[in-house]
Amino acid sequence: MHERLSFFVKRDSALHPLNPLTKIVLALGIILVSIFSPWYWTSHVLLLVVIVPLVFIGKVATEYFTSALRLILPAAGFIFFMQAFFQPIGQTVIFNFWFLDITQESLLFAFRIATRITVMISAFTLFLLTTHPSELMSDLTRRGLPPQFAYVIISTLQILPQMQAKAQTIIAAQRSRGLDTESTFFKRIGSVVPLVSPLVFGSLVEVEERAIAIEARGFTSKKAKTSLYEISDRSSDKFIRWGLVIFVIISIVLKLWLS
Amino acid sequence: MAFINLNNVTYKYPLTKTPALQNINLQVNEGEFVAIVGPNGAGKSTLCYTLAGFVPHFFKGEISGTVEVAGIDSSKSTLDKWVLNVGLAFQNPFNQISGAKYTVFEEIAFGLENTGVPRDEMKPRVEEAMKLTDISNLADRSPYSLSGGQQQRVALTSILVMRPKLLVLDEPTSQMDPIGTREVFGVIRKMAEGGMTVVMVEHKMEWIANFADRVVALKDGQVLMEGKPNEVLTSELLVENGFGVSRYTSTAREAKKQGLWKKEKLPVTLDEAVEGFKK
Amino acid sequence: MKIEINDLRFIYPTGLEALQGISLIIESGEQVAIVGQNGAGKTTLVRHFNGLLQPTAGSILIGDWDTKITSVAKLASRVGYVFQNPDEQLFSKDVGTEVKFGPRNLGYSKDKTDELVKRALTLTELSDKTETNPYDLSPTWRKMVALASVISMDTPIVIFDEPTTGQDALSIARIAHVIAELRREGKTVVTITHDIDFCAENFERVIALSEGRILLDGVAANIFGQEEVLAQTFVDPPQLTRLGKKLGFKETVRNQEEFLNILRK
Repeated sequence: MHERLSFFVKRDSALHPLNPLTKIVLALGIILVSIFSPWYWTSHVLLLVVIVPLVFIGKVATEYFTSALRLILPAAGFIFFMQAFFQPIGQTVIFNFWFLDITQESLLFAFRIATRITVMISAFTLFLLTTHPSELMSDLTRRGLPPQFAYVIISTLQILPQMQAKAQTIIAAQRSRGLDTESTFFKRIGSVVPLVSPLVFGSLVEVEERAIAIEARGFTSKKAKTSLYEISDRSSDKFIRWGLVIFVIISIVLKLWLS
Repeated sequence: MAFINLNNVTYKYPLTKTPALQNINLQVNEGEFVAIVGPNGAGKSTLCYTLAGFVPHFFKGEISGTVEVAGIDSSKSTLDKWVLNVGLAFQNPFNQISGAKYTVFEEIAFGLENTGVPRDEMKPRVEEAMKLTDISNLADRSPYSLSGGQQQRVALTSILVMRPKLLVLDEPTSQMDPIGTREVFGVIRKMAEGGMTVVMVEHKMEWIANFADRVVALKDGQVLMEGKPNEVLTSELLVENGFGVSRYTSTAREAKKQGLWKKEKLPVTLDEAVEGFKK
Repeated sequence: MKIEINDLRFIYPTGLEALQGISLIIESGEQVAIVGQNGAGKTTLVRHFNGLLQPTAGSILIGDWDTKITSVAKLASRVGYVFQNPDEQLFSKDVGTEVKFGPRNLGYSKDKTDELVKRALTLTELSDKTETNPYDLSPTWRKMVALASVISMDTPIVIFDEPTTGQDALSIARIAHVIAELRREGKTVVTITHDIDFCAENFERVIALSEGRILLDGVAANIFGQEEVLAQTFVDPPQLTRLGKKLGFKETVRNQEEFLNILRK
């Protein structure tokens, strides 16, 4: 069964006790600075001097580098090749392949874009690894996010893996009835209805019953909600958030001023 | 006056032709443990939804007659207020997991968070409820990683922790093994003795006879019969109407025809059967 | 058709060792019930019979077919499998089409398909509901549709996973009738069940699993007599067996008939 449903890993680090909002602002701040900064080397610096040290401070290095290998590098690599081959800029041809010319400029551009993508995904991965989803939602609800909205986001995150498990059972049930899901393309197309309709119908029933279950537990109660966990929001959190906002503003100003 | 008061309740779901409940009259006293039995389609779940306020507030449809719990008329209340008095747990445990929580402990606290229970009161209440249903060892597990029977215990605990005055249970032990079932019936009995009123739909006749104060038999949306567990569960009327009965009852009935059961009353439980068959 | 299992082991990707060396022969035409607590490995075991799961070690033979080298689609012609929840398999707009799905997949002729469908619908008492959308039926009847849609495949082996869960007395009686009919036709029936009284009334052979191993295997009367061993896998003996024991009967009784026979003596 799925014991671990979110990216979150519980660790005793300096990053974990930060307020969830601070951690979102941190991720967004890094991303915005890397987008707006006028210098191409900013993303590289952010990656090496900010993100990687934070990964170690947050004690999530193993998880981060695993996801880097699985997700970030393939995504960045793909973007790199697409940009390198198809970006029609520059004259300095390094080599060509069939009708495609690779120029020095397109290569540099591709490298820059790929790094920026790496920074973006890394910043978010870091955020997800160190933030408990329930804490995030409780904190955002406390700050005025409608609870229904928070519920939809967080339950979707949890229920998707369950839907996947259910889809597996349906596939197993239909294969037992002789449905060929493996051979030819046309047979696969033909097997869509028997697989999808039980899933859809099942989900409708589920949604209704789940609505009843959470309603029975006072979900729409008009009383002010409380939270099981105390979510700290210290002055250092506010300091970090405002610091990040200032960094973002500086990058935007520099970008406008230098271009 | 009775704690639950159903007066001539007739209810029809939207888009259906026949009523799911017809002229239901039912009075239940505070602290009473009433079991509802009946074949599938008899209206047992609809009755549960009616007591819990979901009929008609959630399902809409046409209702007539009056539904009163703890002196409040359902038609004059709203669902969000009603659920503070009445707790509901139903059969499918998987669909009762909120999906918003990552551990069993958080899952059980969900209802307390929603209804604004202060944080320092929350933890002891969750711990106490988990102890009662014997799931303290599951506190840090993901609710989705549990077996069906364990999930049913979590669903029950999530409602018990809210301390409703009326507990409505729709087949809450369907996925539990016999030992688990016996334990849960014991917990519910204890709640009733502490003053909580309980209405429970169940198929397991032996346990009903051991634990419930009264049995209501439903058929086609109507009350067919009600009374003491032993009277109702051994009645010929149930057999004629396709109800399930315990093997002790059906075997003793056959034995009686052959002159092998001498007593007037038929048994429902093991002890009653042993008593009657003993030479 | 015979099922032959040789030292079957199965380890889930999570590392959970669900089956720890099961060897078993189920003869053609046998009626077998598999009991045991949640997590004992019952479903994992039967999902090997039609190739949905592949053994980590050991082998399963269905007749002369090795499940390791036979596709699930092909095995479906020998092993029918009724899943626990009918909602996980029903998809057609009407009952008739649903029940036809299996035999059509197996490539039977139109005449044979029609005949099998008719027989399956009669057996499950669904003949008057062929035009109905399965989702307009009650969950009890949807279960019967699921049963019919597997029986119509006319496989020599039929597996039921928890057939009585959530069913009322009438529905359980219908399921018992279906199983009796399959027995009469000489089919092999393997049923996973929690309902020990249902098991006592309908099966000759009982296998109790516990933690991925066979705890007990034999004639029902012998199995139910071993109360202490059964308790290891959280199974209580049937009601009448317990009653007989309390009354001091020497023999282990399973059903009403046996009970009354002893009482008469």
